[in-house]
Amino acid sequence: MIEVFAVLLVTALASSLLGVFLVLKGQAMTTDAISHTILLGIVIAFFITNDLRSPLLIIGAAVIGLITVYLIELVTASGLMKQDAAIGIVFTALFAAAVILVSRYADNVHLDIDIVLMGQVLFAPLNRIELLGISLPYALVQLTIVFIINILFVLIFYKELKVTSFDPVYAAAAGISTTFIYYILMTLVSVTAVTAFDAVGSILVISFFVTPAITAYLVTKRLSHMIWLTLITAAFNSLLGCSFGYFTDISISGSVASVSLVTFLAVFFFNKNGWIRKTLKTRRMLRKI
Amino acid sequence: MDILTSYSFIIVALGTVILSAVAGVIGSISVIKGQSLIGDAIGHATFPGVVLAFMLFNVMETSVLVVGAVILGIIAFQLIHMITGSSKISLDSALALVLSSFFGLGMALKSYVQGNPNFSGTQGIDDFIFGQAAYMLKSDVYLIIAASAVSLILFFLYYQQLRIYTFDPVYARTVGISIKFMNILVLAMTIMIIAVGLKAVGAVLIVNILIAPAVTGTLWSNKFITVLRVAAATGGLSAFIGTYISTTFTGIATGPAIILALSACVIISMLIAPKGILVKRQRLRKLGEAA
Repeated sequence: MIEVFAVLLVTALASSLLGVFLVLKGQAMTTDAISHTILLGIVIAFFITNDLRSPLLIIGAAVIGLITVYLIELVTASGLMKQDAAIGIVFTALFAAAVILVSRYADNVHLDIDIVLMGQVLFAPLNRIELLGISLPYALVQLTIVFIINILFVLIFYKELKVTSFDPVYAAAAGISTTFIYYILMTLVSVTAVTAFDAVGSILVISFFVTPAITAYLVTKRLSHMIWLTLITAAFNSLLGCSFGYFTDISISGSVASVSLVTFLAVFFFNKNGWIRKTLKTRRMLRKI
Repeated sequence: MDILTSYSFIIVALGTVILSAVAGVIGSISVIKGQSLIGDAIGHATFPGVVLAFMLFNVMETSVLVVGAVILGIIAFQLIHMITGSSKISLDSALALVLSSFFGLGMALKSYVQGNPNFSGTQGIDDFIFGQAAYMLKSDVYLIIAASAVSLILFFLYYQQLRIYTFDPVYARTVGISIKFMNILVLAMTIMIIAVGLKAVGAVLIVNILIAPAVTGTLWSNKFITVLRVAAATGGLSAFIGTYISTTFTGIATGPAIILALSACVIISMLIAPKGILVKRQRLRKLGEAA
């Protein structure tokens, strides 16, 4: 149980940290697209290596993630359709290809559709690795490394991330390459999504990326506050969701995603400038008139 | 070739072809208005509705489950509307939130139902994720036909208003078209099509049949009625090809097969359509020669 929670917690922290910038840049749906299409990378790499633990899977997924972002940009830039239509078409097509490959050729292996959609964090402790004489879940080690990389990314590029998120025009004038930062961010998103894949699957990972960040976004004004509050929310959601899922014996990742929605709604309705206060205020004003 | 004349194939193909053709028409409005991904969020959000309806009534009857799907679809849309309307959260983030957490709720409920011996015949729920036309019944097809007919009638009843609302909302307001009513109309048609289409195409990928035919249509023409005609034809043709492939080969879900057929149409149109890349390039070359 402790190990399951640890895996989930690190997944939540690693993904929500990047989520802060995805939300600020308005790229949440691009992430949605990536988290779907990395499945194609995983499947293709799996057919080559026949090993679900191969590092090639991560490379394959990262490559497909970047291809997705690039394809969306390419199609949008061609002026043939709007960006949201491009996202919708590119990711559904690549995901459909992956689903057909999985259901047709990988029927007897570990890659089944349920795990693709929601992962199975309960299995994570079964797959172990020896590190400095201690036996640890493989997923935990892998995710911790990804989390550290994400932290380093944010620390090193903090200023650039801040400027490109809030003021892309100034960033361009100051000579900061928005595209460069954007592509690194999207590579890390792909890598994080694929390492989180076993634990939370390809659709629910979006909830891990986005929900804590927008919950924090509701009540913070400074970037540093938003990052801290995002991480705290992510930890809180996974603790509550994990225990709830564990004791009611339902899908743990599904449970975390549901709990995250409840947390968000609670903040949305009840915070100082939340929906309830705002609605009451307008009512009162209308009555005065 | 036996497949083409088999009774069950004809039933299923009829359902998917009508569904995709009508989805192409209805989807054109959102695509032109640049709101394509709302369909994605609603599509995912209908899934917990299907599971909840199953839990409440314990029947695998599509007509019952569709009601759950519609209700959750409406809740999802209202939530998106409320979040973007009264906080600084962007539409993009709100869509991602609703899409993933509603789908997560659906997966949690599904795992509860499938692990609970009180519910029987739970395997059918999986068909609503990626669609399985092979298990579609005659009643499912009737449902598709009914919903498509209602949507199409509404669409052409309000055709002029919808056209103005789609291309020029400001002008629409000045000539007295109620934007609020138009929003509700488009939402109702979209949710209806999504709900009845779940069993054929699945919750995850259904947005594609709303977007891809419409995008193909906009590549071939600027005229609204021509866009609609091309969209309907593309949707219908792709659905037929996809259903045929899915029925012929085992282990290929119908939704993904239809979507790959649609994607092929989009790619071909991006190249050879009047507004496509090749024609544009040729025109540029001619201009270059003339100059």
